[in-house]
Amino acid sequence: MSSDPGVHESRHPTLKQYVGIAIFLFVVTIIEFVIILPKDFRGAGWTIAPLAILSAIKFAAVIFFYMHLKFDNRLLTWVFLGGLALGFAVVFALVGLFGTFTPSPRAWAEDKAKPCTLDHEMGGCLEDKIRAEPTPTPTPPANGIEPTPAPGPAPDGGLVATGRQIFITGAGEGAATPCVTCHTVAGVPEAIGLLGPDLSHIGTDAANRQPGVSVDDYLWESIRDPEAFIAEGVERNTPGLMLTAITAGLTDADVDALVAFLKEQK
Amino acid sequence: MAHQTEIGHHPPAAEHAEEQTTTGINHRKLLMWVFLSSDCLFFGSLIATYMVYRGQSLVGPYPVDIIDVPITTISTFVLLCSSFAMVRALAATNEDRQGAIIFWLLMTAFLGAIFIGFQVYEFNLFRAEGLRIDTNLFGSTFFTLTGFHGAHVTLGIVWLLGLAWVAKKGRLGPRTALDVELAGLYWHFVDIVWIVIFTLLYLIGGFDTGPAGDPSLVPHSITSLFGLI
Repeated sequence: MSSDPGVHESRHPTLKQYVGIAIFLFVVTIIEFVIILPKDFRGAGWTIAPLAILSAIKFAAVIFFYMHLKFDNRLLTWVFLGGLALGFAVVFALVGLFGTFTPSPRAWAEDKAKPCTLDHEMGGCLEDKIRAEPTPTPTPPANGIEPTPAPGPAPDGGLVATGRQIFITGAGEGAATPCVTCHTVAGVPEAIGLLGPDLSHIGTDAANRQPGVSVDDYLWESIRDPEAFIAEGVERNTPGLMLTAITAGLTDADVDALVAFLKEQK
Repeated sequence: MAHQTEIGHHPPAAEHAEEQTTTGINHRKLLMWVFLSSDCLFFGSLIATYMVYRGQSLVGPYPVDIIDVPITTISTFVLLCSSFAMVRALAATNEDRQGAIIFWLLMTAFLGAIFIGFQVYEFNLFRAEGLRIDTNLFGSTFFTLTGFHGAHVTLGIVWLLGLAWVAKKGRLGPRTALDVELAGLYWHFVDIVWIVIFTLLYLIGGFDTGPAGDPSLVPHSITSLFGLI
């Protein structure tokens, strides 16, 4: 018997058998390759079973002949198959635990994902810092006065579009913090920020904020020097944040575009 | 013991016959098998991680963008060839053919080095195409799994070169055949791990697309060289 220490088996297959196994392994690999050759078969669910079986056949051929488990002490076979079975158990357990979640991990992550604009000076996300601060009360309607849309020259569509782009994505390249981070504008899906005042009607509100100051001048000042005039009902949670974090980096052309865009929010 | 002199059976290594163990198995050989058994768990967990995160990458490149099955089939053939060279090395050792021992050991190491060359080429290509270990879940699990396999192959090459050096000094033969046999067991194990990885990551998982099934994703162009796609 194999347990007899006197007849420790160290027999090996003959050269002919080795060559036969090598050819066999080649042929099986070619079959595997041919299975996924037609474009429609690639990644198809039904290919998994035959590919797994062929792979297992190759696996067995190598361990039983090249590693001569077939000719060796039976105990070695059990030692190895035991570890292999545990390995399989690990795979099934982990895939069972984490691979069958509903919703899928990706859907879950997408659900929980949040935008992050890197704060290059302090580290972390600007959005997190803004969220951590108390939510300001939104701007009340402007004095109940019926806004009168000022008939004027047709707005420059290109400038408005540029302004809208800057409002949504920020100016320049890199991770500039856009206006939408803090401001809500009805009709702009990206603009859902709550830290700053709601700008959905700023085009009409601006005309009534400061007597004698034109809409353009008011908006320009509000961007370039946000602290110069604080509209009634607006709380500045972090004085200077808007200027230092966002608008200081804008060029005059950027501000012109933003003003053109904001004037249209009526 | 008479059967050991029969044609087709090699004389046992002296170490085998001399060592008396309760299991009847040489301790070193048993230890090697226990190690390989535990290595199944090692690769099992890496494979499980790959499978759990399969198709969960949020950004590309995705497998279908960069996995090149034809070229990896070639490197798989190379590794299978190296296993054949390994069994020839052991046979030569048992038959005490000194020149053949060195030749087949070096041949095994050489074929293993070619396999590693393919892997280095593949890793560089992937990096050039934007897949790094920290790009997405596919990159993390792919490079960790295939990287550890490549490390196993590399260690095997060093082992084989060491054996070839010992063989050059004339110290390998039927009495010390176990030295070659253990290296062979390790080498074949690395081969079967690749059989599994090749099937799972290339033949089955190599055509996985991104979340949206982006139509602009096309299989890697090198396959077109073969006129197969």
